[in-house]
Formats: sequence, structure tokens, C-alpha cells
Amino acid sequence: MNLPVDESVRLQEAERTRRRRERWAIGVVAFLVAALTFIEAYLVASGGPVRFSGNIAIFALINLNVILVVLLIFLVSRNLFKILLDRRRGILGSKLRSRLVVIFILFSLLPTALLFVAATNITTTSIKSWIGKRVGEALSGSLEIARRKLNDDAAALVPLAGEAATLVGPETTAETAGEALRHMRTGQEDAVTLLFLRKGKLAAKEGKALGAAGNEILDRLGSLGKAGAEGGTIIGDGYAVAWVPAGGDGLVAAAKLLPEAEAQRIRAIKDAYAGYHQVRLLDDPIRASYIGVLILITLLIVFAASWMGIYLARRITVPVQLLAEGTDRVARGDLDATIDYRSDDEFGTLVGSFNRMTADLKAMQGNLAEAHASLTTTYEELRRRTQFIETILDNISTGVIVIDRHARIAMINKVAGRLLEVSPEEAAGSLYRDVFREDHYEAIRGLYREAGNAGGRQVERQVELPIGEKRIALRVSMTTLLDERGDYMGLVVAFDDLSQAMRLQRVLAWREVARRIAHDIRNPLTPIQLSTERMIRKYSEEHAGDPVFAECTQAVLSEVATLKRLVDEFTRFARMPAPQLEEGDLPEEVRQVVEMYRTSHPGIRWEFRAGEMPQAWFDPIQIRRALTNLLENAAAALGKQGCVEVSCAFDAESGRARITVADDGPGITRKDRERIFEPYFSRREGGTGLGLAIVSAIAADHGGTVRIRDNEPKGTVFEIEFPARPRGRE
Amino acid sequence: MRVLVAFFTLCLVAVAPRPAPADAPPPKVVQVGGTVRGKEARVQFRIENAFTPEMVEALKSGIEITFRVRLEVERVHRNWFNVTVGDMKYAQSIRYDVLSRVYRFHRGGVDEIVPDLRHAVERMTRLEATVPLSGEISGGKPYRARVRVRLDQAGLADPLRTIVFFSSVWDVETDWAHGPLRSP
Repeated sequence: MNLPVDESVRLQEAERTRRRRERWAIGVVAFLVAALTFIEAYLVASGGPVRFSGNIAIFALINLNVILVVLLIFLVSRNLFKILLDRRRGILGSKLRSRLVVIFILFSLLPTALLFVAATNITTTSIKSWIGKRVGEALSGSLEIARRKLNDDAAALVPLAGEAATLVGPETTAETAGEALRHMRTGQEDAVTLLFLRKGKLAAKEGKALGAAGNEILDRLGSLGKAGAEGGTIIGDGYAVAWVPAGGDGLVAAAKLLPEAEAQRIRAIKDAYAGYHQVRLLDDPIRASYIGVLILITLLIVFAASWMGIYLARRITVPVQLLAEGTDRVARGDLDATIDYRSDDEFGTLVGSFNRMTADLKAMQGNLAEAHASLTTTYEELRRRTQFIETILDNISTGVIVIDRHARIAMINKVAGRLLEVSPEEAAGSLYRDVFREDHYEAIRGLYREAGNAGGRQVERQVELPIGEKRIALRVSMTTLLDERGDYMGLVVAFDDLSQAMRLQRVLAWREVARRIAHDIRNPLTPIQLSTERMIRKYSEEHAGDPVFAECTQAVLSEVATLKRLVDEFTRFARMPAPQLEEGDLPEEVRQVVEMYRTSHPGIRWEFRAGEMPQAWFDPIQIRRALTNLLENAAAALGKQGCVEVSCAFDAESGRARITVADDGPGITRKDRERIFEPYFSRREGGTGLGLAIVSAIAADHGGTVRIRDNEPKGTVFEIEFPARPRGRE
Repeated sequence: MRVLVAFFTLCLVAVAPRPAPADAPPPKVVQVGGTVRGKEARVQFRIENAFTPEMVEALKSGIEITFRVRLEVERVHRNWFNVTVGDMKYAQSIRYDVLSRVYRFHRGGVDEIVPDLRHAVERMTRLEATVPLSGEISGGKPYRARVRVRLDQAGLADPLRTIVFFSSVWDVETDWAHGPLRSP
């Protein structure tokens, strides 16, 4: 799922805000925890002074650890859940993030779990070894040896104490008791001290000072010596005492202080023994606390690793995600996409490169746009020029073919296409030998060879090529194109259809002939007619019964009339005036002629269509005459019934007006079409053969042409085409 | 944020201290009494259920057990707040000497040798203290003593201190108990 860019940015901002709040919450909770810890510790300590290091520190650390773990659990759980959700939603980077986190968890969990198991085993084993049976026995034995040694020392002092006790009685003063004790101590070792207590209080002492142990010895002796007691021994840290009741409420004690080194050793044994029993007593709690600490550490490591994994994954995936989003934006054409991410690592470099890339792309796009605009302008200019050239080439009467160095047709204009009966659109880009008929391209190759042989770049010749079923005379000019280095680039073949020109030449020649015939025939006709009429007037009565006379004279007059009519036609053909062009409504002019024929030939269906057409320049009289000739021919071809479609159209591209007359008559053979516009060619009975010659002359006088083609499915189509606005009348 | 609060609440509920099991009677101060005389009050009281079996076992293992006592003497007013006229805090401890096989009781710089466990427990739980009083002490007026005792966990052996927080059997602390003091 791809979110829109704005939505994505909004979500990231919301996420950042949430994280800030989370951090605040964590801070507040941590503060509360600290405060609560302090209050708890204060309450615990409110009964009196406490050992801070031994109590509050532990308590605070435990709380802190628990809170840390709880926080970590919460944060990690929340982030893991979020990663899971992101993965389900298919958010970019979530797969990589989840993989990294899982890898981190596994990489931390496996060694930590192993370490935990090993540490637990080591701890358990160590504790067991500390409180093992043999250690206990050894310590008990050591303590027993120490105790026995002290008891032996005390027992060794019993005779001395007993002997000393015999020297004191109830009435013995402290002074005499001191004397007795001094006497008894003579010869004893320095470590032995003799004491005399009365009513629990020290009355006399003989020997070295007892030091720190003295008070304890006196306290313990003070609580002894009750009536009836037989005496005994007491031992303590570094001392052994034997005591014997003396003189009612008194007692005599012989105390021996051990050397300091020995006393230290005994104290060490005692402490070790006490420690051993304490540890043994607290075996399970201590082990549980150690395992608890290990679990806590393990959890800390695992969650810290998870958190680190999430953090690192985010550090990796966030820039990747930003880069992907940025790339997506760039792919969608938004080159203003920049990534707001700063880091001194490779991602920072990558993001910087991306931002530079987008900036460069934007600059390049600007340059491209400028270049594109420039190219478009240039292209438009070229297109206009090309179009202009094509228009020129399409509107000139010369056929032009451009062949490139690879013998492909680079350009062919409409005239060339029409003359050679090929489609310019299909021919462009094709090999010329695939397009033209064999005899056509053989002619071109012949010309090329001729140009090569002549050593020139241009050759011009008149050739006659078969087009369809007729042969057309063409003036062909071939030019070899060379570049500035003289390398061959191609050919330009230009050819003019000489048929129209030759036809016009023939028409002109015929006009001259017609003028002379009319001149030379008209002169003797009148005398022939007049002489014949005179003969009829003079000899008709004489030869009234002679049918030959009447027939002959009538035949002469009839033939003279025919000749006169023929001469008049010749005269009209010979004396066709130059067209008087004026601006007018050509369709209306054509429509009027058609209406006239609709009335005179009701059996034929006369259709008239006219498209949008501007005002055109034409000679109305001559156009009417040409159209009348065409309609007359159509009516003659149809007879009593049929359909004649007359249309008037304007070709905006070429700027030419076109009048089309199409009938569905029997049509004209291809053979006859070649000569149909020539004077005195007619297939119609009684036709002078000048009608279509006059149409052709009128079209030529208007700067246009007249064409003939087959109608579909049958019949003939005549097209008169001329410029609607001749040169100088634009 | 709501999720965080909910999570912490659950955690606090989970780790909340549990009440002591029903079969372990709580320690309490009983038989509070004594007399007010001159500028001091002599207060006697006893602690019941002070030594749990675990504590006795620890004592026999050589661990020193210390009780901290807080004593207050109040002048009782029927229709007004009581006024504290004297208070004191002191500690007393007992420890078994494994070498000489005697219990050493210690209070206020004074050591006593106690021959056996029974006497040691008796010595630790039957208490008497003299509280110096301040202010004007009126004869014939009602006075009372308020007492509270708790186990000093900070004074325990190091290994114990790390676990007493998680064990209710070491959670020895009485409520305030009070009793009348006779005044002349």
C-alpha cells in the first residue's frame, strides 16, 4: 500500500510527536519511581539510622532494574507489535525491519540463554560446593578443634584456680587475696592471669592485663559463682578461663589469653563456620536471588538487544523508506522531492546524493524543457518549411521524386504519385524498385547511367512511359545530390506531364486550322448558296417536273447550311475570348445551370451538392458554357433516364475549386479518353467534337485542368479544377 | 500514553506485596504498662510472634537479630489531642556465639551473656525501658505509653539483606500499641 506523500509526512510527524510524549511519560514514571523508592526507603529507615549502602542502594537498584525491565518490555513489545502491524499493512521497510529485529533477538537470545544456563549451573554448583557436607564437616571439625584446644587450656588451669581458691576465704581482704594470687602465679607462664571476684565484682587480680577480653571475662564470671556451684570453665575468643568458688560469695579464676595470631585463627574459624551456616540457611533464597539477578540481566540483554535491533533497523529502514518514497515521487514526476534526513553515515551520503540528483534532474528538466521548446520551435519551423515545400511540390504540375543514397524514396509528391499511379504515403521510405513498375525504374536507372556516363550531375530527357493502358510523354530531369564533401546523397527526379501541354498545342493548332478553314470555306459558301438560290428561282419552273433538279439544288442548300453551321462552330472555337475573371458565387452559378437542365430533361434525376466555399474568381459565361457542354454530353449519354450528380467543392489545402459532373451512363473507354478533349473527336452522332475541347480550353484559361475518370459502379466523372483565387487576386 | 499507563498499572498489580500467609500470626506488642515517676517513665511491654521459625534458624546460625524500638509517652486528654511528653528510640540485638555456645544480648553499650535460645528469645521479647520526660508532669493525670517495634533489616547479614525485601517472613513490624501508665 502506498500512501500519498502528504499523508505519509503527516503520519511521520504524528509518530514523532507520539514518541516525544512517550519519552516524557517514561521520564515522569522514572521520576515517580525514584521518588517512591526514596519515600519507601525513608519509611523503612524511619525507625532509626540505617546503613545506606546496605539497604537503600539495594532497594533502589532493585526498583530501578525492575522499572527498566518493565520499560524495556513495554517499549520493545510496543515496537514489536508496531512492526508486526506495519508488516501486515505492507508498509515499506517493515519486512527488513522485522528481519533485522528477529536476527538481533536470536543473536542475543541464543548466547544469552546459553550464558544464563551456564551461569545458573555455575552458581548452583558453587553454592553447593560452599555449603557442601565436606565443607561443613571441615568447618565443624576446625571449630571443634579450636573449642577443644580452648577447653584443654581451661582445664589445664583448673588445678591452679583450685589451688588458688584454697588460699582465699570469706574474710580474705582484697590485699591478702592479691598476695595469695601473686604467690600462686609465681612460676606460671605470662599468659595466665589470676582473678579473685567477690559478689561478682573483681576484688584482686594478678598477671598481665586482659585487654578487650577482660570485660567479657569479668561479665561472664560475674554471672557465675552462685552458691552450690562447683566451678567450671569458660572459653571465648582468644581466652580460656577456669574458675572455682571460693569463700562463700567469691570465686577464683585463672584466665589464659591466647597469642593474638592464634586468637585471630580461632576467630577466622568461628566466622567461617558462622558464615557457612548462614549461607546454608539462606541457600534457596540466595540461589533464587542470584538466578533472579541472572534472569534480570538476561532480560536486560535480550530486550536491550531487541531495542538495539529496532533502533538499528529504524536507522536503516527510515532512510530507505524515505528514499523509496522520494524515488516514487520522482518517478511520478515530482522533482521537488527532497528528503529531510541528516546523518554522518553512508545513508546520509546517499540521501545527500539523492537530493543532489533530484536537484540536478530538476535543472536538467529545465534545460530539457528549454531545449525541447527550442527543438519544438525549430521542428515547427522545419515542419512549416517542409509543409510549405510539400505544398509547393503538391501544387506544382511537376512530379518530384527524391531518392536517398540507400535507394529509398525519401519524398514523392502527389503529382508524381498520380502520374506513376503509386500512393505517396505508401511509397515513402520504400525501395524505389519495389514501388515503381520495372519499366519505370529502368527508365530512372537508364537516366542515372546516362548521367554517370555523361560525367555530369544533371540529365534531362523526354521519355514516354506506359501509365495504365496509355503512354504518357514526360519531360524528366534527374539531378544527382552531393554533399559538401562530394559524397553521393541521392537523386532528385522531376518530371512534367507533357500531355496537357501537347493537348493545348494541338488545340491551338486546331484553332488556327479552324480559323483558316472558317475563313477559306465561309467565302465560297455564300456565292454557292446565292447561286443555287438563283438557279432555283430561274429554273424551277422550267424543271418543275424534273425531280433531280429540285433534289440537287436542295442538297446543295442543305449541305451549304451544314457547312455554314460547321464554319460558325469553327469560328466560335477559333475566336474563344480570354476569360473575364470576376469574384462570384460559383455554387450558385452551377446550381442555376443544373436547374435549367432539370426542367429541360425531366426524365433524368439531377442531383446537386455544394460544400462550404468562399467567393471564387471565374468567368461566369465561360464556366456556364463549359458546364453546359458537360451536362449536354451527360444527358446525351443517358438518353431518357439516369442520374447525373453535380457537385461543387473547395479544397482548402490547395485552394482550388472543383466542379464534378458524374453520370451513370455507359462510360467512355480508356482508348477514347486519350483523345476525348481533342477537337473534332466525337463518338456522338452529329457531334462536332469541339464541346470537350472548349471545356478543356476554358479550364486551361482559368489556370486549371479538366480530368476524366470512371464512375463507380458505372458511368463517367468529369472534373474541372482551377484556382479559386488566381495569382494576383489573393 | 494510555497503553503505557495501563501496562504499568498491570505491572504494579503483579508485583504488589502480598499479605502474609494466614497461618503466620503477625507480630504485635502486648502488655504495655508502667509508671510515671518524676521526670521519667518506666515502661514494660512484651512482643508476641516476634520470632518466626526462619528468624530462630537464622539466630542459631549466628546471624545477629536487631529490634528497633520506638517509645512515646503521652499525656492523655479526654476532649483534646494527646500531648507527647517524652519519646525515645533504641535498638537491642541478640547473637549466638558458636565458639562459646552462648547468646550475646546487646543493648545501649551493655552486653549480656544468655545461656540458651529460650532465654535469648525471652530477653529479646520482654522489654523494659526508661523514657525521660519533658514538660510539666502532673500527678494523678492520665498518661499512656505508645510502642512500636520492628526488625532492623539493615542490620542483617549481607546475603539476607538482598532477599528480605522479597520475603514476608522477615517483615517483622508491629503496629502502634499503647497502654496506661500509672502516675502518682
